[in-house]
Amino acid sequence: MSDAEETNSHTGFDAIDHQPAYIYTPTGTNDDALERPTKRRKVAKGRPPVLQPHESTNSLTFEPLIGDLETLDCVRLRQDCFHKYWSETNARIQSIVNEANEDTLAEVTAFVDSPGDINQEDDGRVPASFIVTGPNIASQDLLFKQLSARLKKEINGPVVTLRSGDASNLKAVLKQLIRDATNQRSEDEELSQELDGRKLLNYDLEILQSYVKNHGSQRVVVAFQDSEAFDTSLVVDLVTLFSSWIDRIPFTLLFGIATSVELFQERLPRAASRCLYGVRFDVEQTSSILERIFQSAVANSKASLRLGSELVASLMERQHDHVQSVQSFVVALKYAYMCHFYGNALSILTDASTSSQSLFKLIKPCHLEAIRMLPSFRRLIDSRVESQELIRARELIQDDTILLQEIEDSLESKDGNILRLLRAFHVFASALSEPPSGIDLYMTIFEGALSGSDHLKRVLDSIKRMTPDDLVVFTKRIKGAIENGSCELDLDGWADEDEELIAELRDVEIKAVGLSGKSADTEKPIRSSAAIHSKGLRTTVIAQRVQLSYEKSTITEAEKEFIGLIDHVSKLLEQYFTLENPKDLFLNELWLCDSADLFLDVFAPRPRAAIENALSAPHEYLTCEIGGSEEGLSSTHPTTAIIYQSYLEAGSLINMADLWTTFQEILSGKEGDEGDEREALMQFYRALADLKLVGMVKQSKKKADHLAKVAWKGL
Amino acid sequence: MASMFSLPSEVMLTSLVSLFPCREQQIRSLATLLAIRGAPSRNVVLYGLEATGKSAIAKALLQGLSAEPDNSLVNGDSDVLHDQLRYAVIKSAECITGRHLLEQTVGAVAKAVNWEGNVGRCENVAQLVVELGRMLEGWRTSDDGATNHRIVLVFDGIDHQREAPPTLLPGLARLGEIIPNLTTLYIVTAPRPNFLHLPGVPHVHFPSYTKPELLQILSSTSPTPQLPGGAKETQETWSRFTSAVYDSLSKHSGRDILSFRSISLRLWPRFIKPILDGQLSSTPFSRLLVANRSLFQNETVLIPGIISEPPLAKAGALVQGVNESKGKYQGIANQLPYYSRLLLVASYLASFNPPRLDILHFMKSASSKRRKKGGGTALSRSSNTKRRTISRKLLGPQAFVLERMLAIFHCIKEDADSRGRYGNGNERKRENGSADIQMAIATLASLRLLVKMGAQNAGDAMDGACRYRVAVGWEVVRGVARSVGVEAEDYLAD
Repeated sequence: MSDAEETNSHTGFDAIDHQPAYIYTPTGTNDDALERPTKRRKVAKGRPPVLQPHESTNSLTFEPLIGDLETLDCVRLRQDCFHKYWSETNARIQSIVNEANEDTLAEVTAFVDSPGDINQEDDGRVPASFIVTGPNIASQDLLFKQLSARLKKEINGPVVTLRSGDASNLKAVLKQLIRDATNQRSEDEELSQELDGRKLLNYDLEILQSYVKNHGSQRVVVAFQDSEAFDTSLVVDLVTLFSSWIDRIPFTLLFGIATSVELFQERLPRAASRCLYGVRFDVEQTSSILERIFQSAVANSKASLRLGSELVASLMERQHDHVQSVQSFVVALKYAYMCHFYGNALSILTDASTSSQSLFKLIKPCHLEAIRMLPSFRRLIDSRVESQELIRARELIQDDTILLQEIEDSLESKDGNILRLLRAFHVFASALSEPPSGIDLYMTIFEGALSGSDHLKRVLDSIKRMTPDDLVVFTKRIKGAIENGSCELDLDGWADEDEELIAELRDVEIKAVGLSGKSADTEKPIRSSAAIHSKGLRTTVIAQRVQLSYEKSTITEAEKEFIGLIDHVSKLLEQYFTLENPKDLFLNELWLCDSADLFLDVFAPRPRAAIENALSAPHEYLTCEIGGSEEGLSSTHPTTAIIYQSYLEAGSLINMADLWTTFQEILSGKEGDEGDEREALMQFYRALADLKLVGMVKQSKKKADHLAKVAWKGL
Repeated sequence: MASMFSLPSEVMLTSLVSLFPCREQQIRSLATLLAIRGAPSRNVVLYGLEATGKSAIAKALLQGLSAEPDNSLVNGDSDVLHDQLRYAVIKSAECITGRHLLEQTVGAVAKAVNWEGNVGRCENVAQLVVELGRMLEGWRTSDDGATNHRIVLVFDGIDHQREAPPTLLPGLARLGEIIPNLTTLYIVTAPRPNFLHLPGVPHVHFPSYTKPELLQILSSTSPTPQLPGGAKETQETWSRFTSAVYDSLSKHSGRDILSFRSISLRLWPRFIKPILDGQLSSTPFSRLLVANRSLFQNETVLIPGIISEPPLAKAGALVQGVNESKGKYQGIANQLPYYSRLLLVASYLASFNPPRLDILHFMKSASSKRRKKGGGTALSRSSNTKRRTISRKLLGPQAFVLERMLAIFHCIKEDADSRGRYGNGNERKRENGSADIQMAIATLASLRLLVKMGAQNAGDAMDGACRYRVAVGWEVVRGVARSVGVEAEDYLAD
């Protein structure tokens, strides 16, 4: 649901609705300009300009933290950091999102440009392209925006996008179509709706025809963004109408299809499908785009904030379980940035660009105090204590200058540590011919669990099954990864830093080449190490008896050497992929964001459960006495909660008289026998109105004086 | 002096007849009814099924008639009377409302008579009468040379007019009584008796083409590509081929000429492929037929495809088409998120299980009862056989209340989770009443995998009492259910 709809949906409800009277309090009369009521009109809502640094420097939108002890400079620094880093990341993401649809855009544009190649017969059929987008409807919006922008640029003619929401009937659609098509060239004024002195109806396609004739348009592109959600009869009407006009207006249709073309065709009656011919285009799947965004925004070496494995896992689970959408991932990522810089006072230290000296000027004792509260600080002290450096540990706790020194050291080593992890990530991903999904790998590495993980085991196993030629390819791949780096992750090659590994690998490679050369000479193939070790089972049938015997494999010299080589390589790799757990690093809280609970509460709200819980256990929210009764029926509860409790106990049809009697009894229990009936009735009505507002009861048509129960608890 | 009665020139009629074979009778009767010196009628109804040449013949004939006077001049009639016939065609398919039709009529007539004045709005038939009368009067006075005037209005497909007021047709039928020299031609598919509320309207029937007629018409089209043997061989093979296509495919499906022609043209390149490849020759036609028999058995060509296969892949397209139809739902099952799939399965169960059996299927305590189902006493069994009930599956999906589906969803969710991904007893209660689930339902509804019953805009889509119906079949649901680890059959009443 978009923001606009959200705000609109609340317009009907107001707190004043249930207030018997309200007092008008005129506010200060001096600020007239602010008091002026906002006009009710539709305003095109652009992006809120949060990403413009020059504006944000003037006004601080961030709050000072640590009990207002933080200085304004720090707050400003955090705010600037957020804007800087997020805009960088966002730019990277947007470039990927834009180019992800590039292929589809080009294909569709080519088709729209010359659809005649496909249709040989001229039989009044309308060219149509069916763009299969996958079931994520949210992504269609972006795609169709890009498409219409691209088509407007490259095709001579109007492009109109229709959505199911504003297509109620044929007349309305045609009106919109004509209006949108004829308004696209801003330089013309009002297009004359007259033809030969005759005023045309505003849904008459002749207007469009004269527009096409005047402008020499070659195509009129009509896009059905969410074609499934359209009323089928409406689509049929439109298609037949377009096909009837095709000799005068060069229509081309685009259909955004979320399920499949076959399903779409099944729903269309023959009369309409006879009027269409077209080509199917597939859009890149969400999962692969997501992987790429992840690599460039989270795993990228230039990203300043990294997501922890727990958070990534919960995000990915949500992607799998509920919504598959790039947008929701980007939003979650932005939220992580916002949380980090807004809520973490230490995030000023994240900023890598400013020199540590100027940073340390900003640091106040309160910051150091906060650092001493961090779990990673505790871990640091623990490790110091374990290694018997008690004095050092005490100094860290007590002496601020020593702590500052330690912070400076860890900030300097931070980049190196992250780089090491990312390099391992890249080498691992590129070493295999079928690498595991980048997100999985990232999660394992950032848990610090790569060395014992299944991924590594699989690699080592695969090495054992390699022949010398495979091994050469394998080492070459690793070497290539180290030398060339990765442009997706923005890693430069680092061959000069990992000279040892390179040298070892080169050595292995030469040996392996030599071995395979030798084996080619002797025409004795060298088996892989796994094949050598596994014992061959030999079956012999002698006189109708089966004899099983193990074959002793004989190992040649070359094979022995090869086994040694393999062992060497796997040891090298094991060593290379033994990585530090980033969560054990001191001050990892500065660059690692890892709290999944925060995210689920924000992005997966449970409105219905919240309402039900509030009604059945109001004492969790309000300060009311919990009566002695345990089943929840207590006269001290709010009246709505009392009614809700009896509502839960009732069947699917609720007798009003019974409900009222129960209610009165409970209330009178509170106030003794002197309960005012009118007062009680008023409360009863009000509580019922509340339940109706929430959508839990409805007037029943089956029985007089009964309510129908609509919602059950816990669903 | 020209006679009062004369038919239109024979030259034009014969050329029309040769253009539209097998329609001579209709052309001649229509010409008589329309020609100025024939037996002009105020209203004429042309009726017949689709693709029988009604509109095309009417249009061609009117064109011929409106150009007629020139011919009579050439004939050298001394005291020639100028006959002026004009016509205007209004296609109902392009008119959105009844009023649009009237506006179009006025516009078309204004164009036909070269009216240059202002044209007023035309909101109902009464205004149409006024406007038409004005225009025709103006035409008559401006065109002094002619003595006989006649204008023909052609309403093409008027019986399928959208939002037509009920008085439209009777009103139009009486136009001719008020405006002189006006003929109204209605082209309809199947007229109801007395639909103009006017007796004595001449009807011209365009019957569907019979087999010999179809073959005769089709023989005039020349197929591509040609056979190597030349035009004669091609023509011979083509005629026998079309006859075979008619008997095997066209006869039982649509018999109209358009679909017949398009099927024949589409099958032709594949049919003669053995000849072009040099494997067979055209002379024993039966051998060619046998070699290509799969073409005539496969009925997928009858379904118009909206995806046009690229011309290169045409040969293998048929086989491919069969395979594709099998896998068409596979995509959705894999693409939908996990909980959407579960919701789809739950909706299917809610649609096909009667609500009174829910306790049996979804209550945990009822598992003992469920086992009993197989047995049953002799008495109950005999009563069962007596009552003839139709299987729920055959009755199609029934509407269900959203709340019930949610209850079923939570029930099968536990099953799916325990068998599927969260096998380690992970307690997950986050889905209760979550916004994500509601979003998933809304998405399924807008993909039309769930169909909301009743008025589209009545009530909120998430209202618990809102009624839905599942729109996918058993095959799909079984696949989807297996992908999330649920065996849908366990929960389905039989």
